Amino acid sequence: MSVVVGVAAGGRSTAAVRLAAVLARSAGEDMVLATVVPAHWPPGVGRIDAEYQAYLKGLAQAALDQAQAELPPDVAVTARAVHARSVPRGLIEVAADTASVLVVGSSAAGPLGRVSLGSVGEHLLHACSVPVALVPRGYGCDAGTVVTRVTAAFGGDAESADLVVAAAGLAVRVGAVLRVASFAVRPAPPRTIATGPHIEDAVVDEWVEYVDKAQQRVLEQVAGLPVAPRKDGAVVGRGHDWADALADVEWTAGDVLVVGSSTAGPLERVFLGSRASKIVRNAPVPVVALPRGAVAQLADEAERA
Amino acid sequence: MASLLQQALRRKPVSELTAQTGTDTGGGELERSIGLFQLSTIGIGATIGTGIFFVLSQAVPIAGPAVVWSFVVAGVVAGLTAVCYAELTSAVPVSGSSYSYAYATLGEVVAMGVAACLLLEYGVSAAAVAVGWSEYLNQLLGNVFGVQIPEALSNSPESGGILNLPAVVLVALCALLLIRGTSESAKVNATMVVIKLAVLVLFIVIGVTGWDAANFVPFAPGGFGGVMTAAGVIFFSFIGLDAVSTAGEEVKNPRRNMPLAIMIALVVVTGLYIAVSLVALGAQPASGFEDQEAGLAAILQNITGSTWPGTVVAAGAVISIFSITLVVLYGQTRILFAMGRDGMLPPFFHRVNPRTLTPVNNTIVVAVVVGLLAGLLPINFLAEMTSIGTLVAFLVVSIGVMVLRRTAPDLPRGFKVPGYPVTPILSIIGCLWIIKDLRPVTILAFLVWVVIALAFYFAYGIRHSTLGIRARGSDVRDVP
Repeated sequence: MSVVVGVAAGGRSTAAVRLAAVLARSAGEDMVLATVVPAHWPPGVGRIDAEYQAYLKGLAQAALDQAQAELPPDVAVTARAVHARSVPRGLIEVAADTASVLVVGSSAAGPLGRVSLGSVGEHLLHACSVPVALVPRGYGCDAGTVVTRVTAAFGGDAESADLVVAAAGLAVRVGAVLRVASFAVRPAPPRTIATGPHIEDAVVDEWVEYVDKAQQRVLEQVAGLPVAPRKDGAVVGRGHDWADALADVEWTAGDVLVVGSSTAGPLERVFLGSRASKIVRNAPVPVVALPRGAVAQLADEAERA
Repeated sequence: MASLLQQALRRKPVSELTAQTGTDTGGGELERSIGLFQLSTIGIGATIGTGIFFVLSQAVPIAGPAVVWSFVVAGVVAGLTAVCYAELTSAVPVSGSSYSYAYATLGEVVAMGVAACLLLEYGVSAAAVAVGWSEYLNQLLGNVFGVQIPEALSNSPESGGILNLPAVVLVALCALLLIRGTSESAKVNATMVVIKLAVLVLFIVIGVTGWDAANFVPFAPGGFGGVMTAAGVIFFSFIGLDAVSTAGEEVKNPRRNMPLAIMIALVVVTGLYIAVSLVALGAQPASGFEDQEAGLAAILQNITGSTWPGTVVAAGAVISIFSITLVVLYGQTRILFAMGRDGMLPPFFHRVNPRTLTPVNNTIVVAVVVGLLAGLLPINFLAEMTSIGTLVAFLVVSIGVMVLRRTAPDLPRGFKVPGYPVTPILSIIGCLWIIKDLRPVTILAFLVWVVIALAFYFAYGIRHSTLGIRARGSDVRDVP
């Protein structure tokens, strides 16, 4: 199993490659740099696009070479250029059997320090059967960084509990501690009803009481696994919007946030629910989105170990 | 075991109110970010619109053209009570509505009585406003599409129909939005205020063209008593001025800005209401107001002979009243939620849905009750019940200010009522004066409602309130 990272031409994938190195180093896996070249048109009368194809191949090779040059020496890496009708399809093809996680970078149109989904990211989050790691724009790290903490986004319900168990398995695999985080997002109450600015706090407090208990239960469940990661406790982030709630929780350089998939999507594919989508878009750290199939698989592995 | 009276009068300590809503736990230290202009617009935006769109058809038959003075009377009393409320909120600077302040200053049983009044001020006013909305919706549909909802389905039984369906539908829609977690953002609120103001200004500008001074004679067919009774009906148009008082925690320099903002908002709102009513009275003889639906739109159509001004007013009313209903229902659910947390209501009322983070059970109950009220009761009764509930709540607040000065004179107060003790006393007198002139059926219904609420308290709240449980717990510990 390896960490597959999509590489684009023009040095736009530096952040993704860095994160892939961190993940590979932490898990003791090797890296695959993958770049996608537009597929040939069906062969026509003459090979009129031969020069163009050669040019594209050159671009692909240059991208791979550049990415490889920036890599630290302690991670084993292979490079692959695949032909496919679109970038996401190509990446899915590479990732299909061999990847433990597929790493993609954020769109250049998004804010610095946040994950923003471009066309590739969006497509992958709807169609990939392998965990997808999204990198905040401009992600940087020191040499030799490993993942130190895996934070599981926990909603308080049964599917979230499965996700936490899967995240525990992941934490063991990369040798990190596990933290459980829940987010209470409620907009500020309107000022025009003479009930004061704190009237909604009671509702949030009630939810936090409920989720605190659920968090304790799930941490006990994790403690009962055959191979359990060390725990870093449970937190609740509060805010008027998702950005505030996520910022309310403390993050460090070696943090990775894990979210699960919606129950509405196909079992195998990553398909984020509304809350997970918002978490992904507002997370200040790399996010790994797990398809439900992977959650089930990882949870099983963790329980059997 | 404390006597019944002692139990009923236990007061929630101010520090506990602070802890309960997370202010001390870092959940809510708010920056003072609101200046005078913004605070005034909050006051204006919160007040304008609930009543003016449909209150004239209730008030003019009672007072005639002298209803203009009713607005002044109601405005002055509203201003006095808002100023008293401002002191209370600055001394007890957290969570809530006048229910919480009564709990802190006057005791549990009084808090329950105030809660009963708040059910009128929020829940019943939402029903009243929904009925008004259905009038303007009908007007809009008639102008734009040429269809109207059949009489039987858009009037309460007392007004000749079976059920007011649009009003029920509006309440249901708002409930759905609240369950999903939608709340009115500051931008939407600002837009709504602009719409309301624009519509009223449009009414004034166009309506003045139909001015006929003869419509002002006779000026006061209901006499002074009529003016005061109409003030009671109108009073609910001034609900919202207390939003300035409860914003106190976020206000820069509250000592100066609170009274100024209340005054500014009051002057603007009362001025606008008086202008609207003068124009309406000038354009239409007093007899034309009786039972008139969608009054402002209808008057414009009568003057201009064309439907577009009426359509614009009706559209503005439909949009803005929808927003008001949503926000008032939200407030009602949160007040019941707070009561549930306090143990004054069964735990059903403070359950939160884990996915939406909203109190779904609570919202559904409120929607069903308000929907029934809106569907089955006529607007004049609903408006009067709202007014009496609000007046009594404000009355209690004014008493509370005086009690708090006696029981906790050294509590830090961001704002102190100017002219103490005259101001709260005037406010109390003003409220009582308006109350006494309401219809006997209203006063009777109100008293029955308060008795029911208090009976519920003595049956349930007095034993289950968290404050009481804690007090009994410490009693038990004291027993050797």
